[in-house]
Amino acid sequence: MYHTLLNSPVSAETQMLLPTVETMVGVLYFGLFAISFDFISGYTGYLSFGHAVFYGTGAYTVILIANGKVPLLGPGTPFMLSLLVGGLIAIALAMLVGLVSFRLSGVYFAMITLGFAQVFYVFVRGWDYVATNPRDGPAVGPSHAEGFQIGVPGIDQLSLSIGVLTGDEVALLGSTLSGTEVSYYMIGLVVLACYFAMQRVIHSPFGRVMIAIRENEERAVAIGYNTYCYKLGAFAISGFFAAVAGGLFAGFKRSASPENSFYFLVTGDALLASIIGGFGTLAGSLYGHLFDETVREFLSKAGQGGGLLPYLRALLGQETLDATLVGETTIGGLIDLLLNGHASLYVGIVFVLFVLYVPDGLLGTLRARLGGTFAEALPARLWGDSE
Amino acid sequence: MILEALAEFLTLSELGGVIVNGLAKSALYVMIASGLTLIFGLMGVLNFAHGSLTMVGAYLGGLLMVVTVTGGTAPLTRLGLFFVAIVVVFALLTVLGGAIETTIIRPLYDRPPIYQILLTFGLTLVIEEVVRIVLGIYDLQPLSDWQAALATKPQFLREPVALGPVSAGWMSLFQILLGTITVVGIWAFLTKTRYGLYIRAGSEDTEMASALGIDVRQVFTVVFALGIGLAGAAGTLLMWDPTWGASVPLAAETLLPAFIVVIVGGLGTFRGTVVAALVVGMADAVTTWWFQNAIQFTGLPELVLFLVLVVTLIVRPQGLFGVEEVGGH
Repeated sequence: MYHTLLNSPVSAETQMLLPTVETMVGVLYFGLFAISFDFISGYTGYLSFGHAVFYGTGAYTVILIANGKVPLLGPGTPFMLSLLVGGLIAIALAMLVGLVSFRLSGVYFAMITLGFAQVFYVFVRGWDYVATNPRDGPAVGPSHAEGFQIGVPGIDQLSLSIGVLTGDEVALLGSTLSGTEVSYYMIGLVVLACYFAMQRVIHSPFGRVMIAIRENEERAVAIGYNTYCYKLGAFAISGFFAAVAGGLFAGFKRSASPENSFYFLVTGDALLASIIGGFGTLAGSLYGHLFDETVREFLSKAGQGGGLLPYLRALLGQETLDATLVGETTIGGLIDLLLNGHASLYVGIVFVLFVLYVPDGLLGTLRARLGGTFAEALPARLWGDSE
Repeated sequence: MILEALAEFLTLSELGGVIVNGLAKSALYVMIASGLTLIFGLMGVLNFAHGSLTMVGAYLGGLLMVVTVTGGTAPLTRLGLFFVAIVVVFALLTVLGGAIETTIIRPLYDRPPIYQILLTFGLTLVIEEVVRIVLGIYDLQPLSDWQAALATKPQFLREPVALGPVSAGWMSLFQILLGTITVVGIWAFLTKTRYGLYIRAGSEDTEMASALGIDVRQVFTVVFALGIGLAGAAGTLLMWDPTWGASVPLAAETLLPAFIVVIVGGLGTFRGTVVAALVVGMADAVTTWWFQNAIQFTGLPELVLFLVLVVTLIVRPQGLFGVEEVGGH
């Protein structure tokens, strides 16, 4: 699809507007992380500001298992199992952190989870068991040269490898899917499964209690729910999926650093995604992150995805670029200055505008307009078959 | 090995040095955190942009110093210029803070507090990128400390001074002096002026204060503006400190300790913030000494700071001097 568009007459425009496949893979796994963040923060109202610790746990678990550094689990452990192990460790961690943190609420809860996460961040950054240079983080070593396989463990026919270089290539219907594209679909499968699982929890009686806690915790207690246990359970579930997301990230990138897994700004990105997509809508977080990444890639030349800068350069031509505006500033220099790697500025502005004017986020606002979830309300509106 | 280190740690000169260092760090922490605590105590806004504004203050202060100081400027003139720079930066950022409050924070007061966190978080992104763009124009490295600003520091501040058996840096003494001035200044403002009375009344009960005829909205604006101004003043001081320095990551580096100090001290009490800054500063100095002399773990001081936060929240969730109700318990 992407290649069809790239080979079409509007290829330059396509390359400018659409993110690359690699970015899209990132959108998937990080979207899952944002969804898991929304699961706890958006539905129970407890802002888990240290959520990155679970993401990092998942990522580090996968890499350490592949490097044979985890006792009992050799480098040959199937990727799916490593994901699960990472998730279980995250559950244990969530229980530990949650036991003390859920005695607090509001800003204090956000701060204590942030505190815990930063303790782990600093610890991992200084622990030389995980990598020779713990500040840069571990990478998958030569003991695990082949790609990580997603699918049914042990059955080659039902598994495909992921990774930019290590992914399997698949011939399908006369076209070949590259390793990155295969990764996109395989990771997408896992993310989809996780999303359905969380969706299931939200719509179960358990999820109802979570929403009750957000709306009015005192009343939920008065009705007779032990909210402490419910919060802890929700936190553990959320931690599990955050770790799966981290595992997918590590499996695809084959390396992780404390800065892009354990650091508190990683949680900040998830927060960004949830708010833009819609707080407390679950799926919205993924769209929020997609929006975020698209804007970032469009407005900065990160990746090979083109974006506005190369497009403008090609469109305007060298003479226009060299034309001077004020003093020695050329037009080329100006767009370079404004568009080269400063996407955070625009994302920040968009974010501030969203908080001010679209507090329900993309999906939240859409749902409010349509009067129901997208899948239910849109057909009803189009064909008027209201029941 | 540990016992030897302990014996060395307990000698007068080492312990004295650690205490002076700890006081200097406490002075920095109290300067970074006081603006945050004023804003949070009164308005309940956890200002995530505080660190970025400290960073802006560092650059502005550095800019003023670099422009005015030449190689031949006498040390005392430099010191005088530095105080002028602090005042100017304070004034500029106060204006900026007032503008931020009236334009984008004010519409959010009737929303849940989380939106203020979100908004200020977005603000950090914008501020940091704008700074990066400006630095890009002048070919400065955003990630490393601004050396030209550091170079405006008078020579004698780099030298050690002997206080009896204890050897301390002039810079530490200078920081302690400025920290003390800040604390005394804010304390006097809060307890001796009419406006301080309004602020304390507003912190305790906003509705009651406005019922008594205090224009709480205006007080909010003033406090937010002053808080941001203090952040800028702290930044100006940090610009001269070689372990901090003016750089873009300074924003995150100062934000987290500031949070720790404010939360440990208890939201809404200035006294708590001062005590917490002392505790955190001392913990930092002690663990820094141990890291340098005995224990081979790079992140030790940072780790201990966050452990202080976590332990305080477990043992005494409202902070050292905090009141139960503030901050949504």
